Amino acid sequence: MEVKNALSPIDIATSGLRAQSKQMEVISSNVANARTSDTGKGEPYRRLEAMFKTDGDGIAGVSLDRIATDMRDFYEILDPGNPGADEHGYVRMPNVNLPIEMMNLNIASRAYQANAAVLKRYQQMVETTLDLLR
Amino acid sequence: MVNLNANISSILPNISPDGIGMPKAGNAAGEKSDFADTIKAIEKYITKVDDLQQSSDMSIKDLLAGKNEDITSVVTAVAKADMSFKLLVTVRNKLIEAYKQTMNMPI
Repeated sequence: MEVKNALSPIDIATSGLRAQSKQMEVISSNVANARTSDTGKGEPYRRLEAMFKTDGDGIAGVSLDRIATDMRDFYEILDPGNPGADEHGYVRMPNVNLPIEMMNLNIASRAYQANAAVLKRYQQMVETTLDLLR
Repeated sequence: MVNLNANISSILPNISPDGIGMPKAGNAAGEKSDFADTIKAIEKYITKVDDLQQSSDMSIKDLLAGKNEDITSVVTAVAKADMSFKLLVTVRNKLIEAYKQTMNMPI
């Protein structure tokens, strides 16, 4: 048994953990900036989305490909008293939809749990194999 | 049973002439050098396990010192070190057991 092969499920599960925590980071940024109407670039906060890719052909871990910006239209809310409002009284708000972010958060945390479960179960498997030697 | 044992010991030296794969089964033939080869193979594995232990130690130290904030890499290093160490200990126990059994064999 080669050591590298025996430990590769651990590396793969850890890459999944890392990817999901990155996803969680992106979601937290989206949620925190859900009402940020000014990012200093003259437009509201644009929703971010983490894109993942596999590390190689066949059996491989996952890694972050890039963090893409969501180019959908901004929401416009009527708020004539707001200093950032246009001549019709509308203020542009980020294209973040909180319920969707909450669903993505659930997916990310469940996927994180799944990767942690794989890691734990693999350790148990190895211990079961070692028990055969005892 | 006697025929089966004879077959196994006649086949095994052909499969693993260097004695790394399954030298223990070849012990039935009465070769003492096979056991020594196993000990040598274990030595190599010990250095590997030691490397893993060192890296897990370093990652824990880095985490506590604030150099590294990636907990998952610490978890990976510790899990690898733990698993390989358990394998080492189990194999060692088995080898010592085999040695004791051989020494206690009535001649």
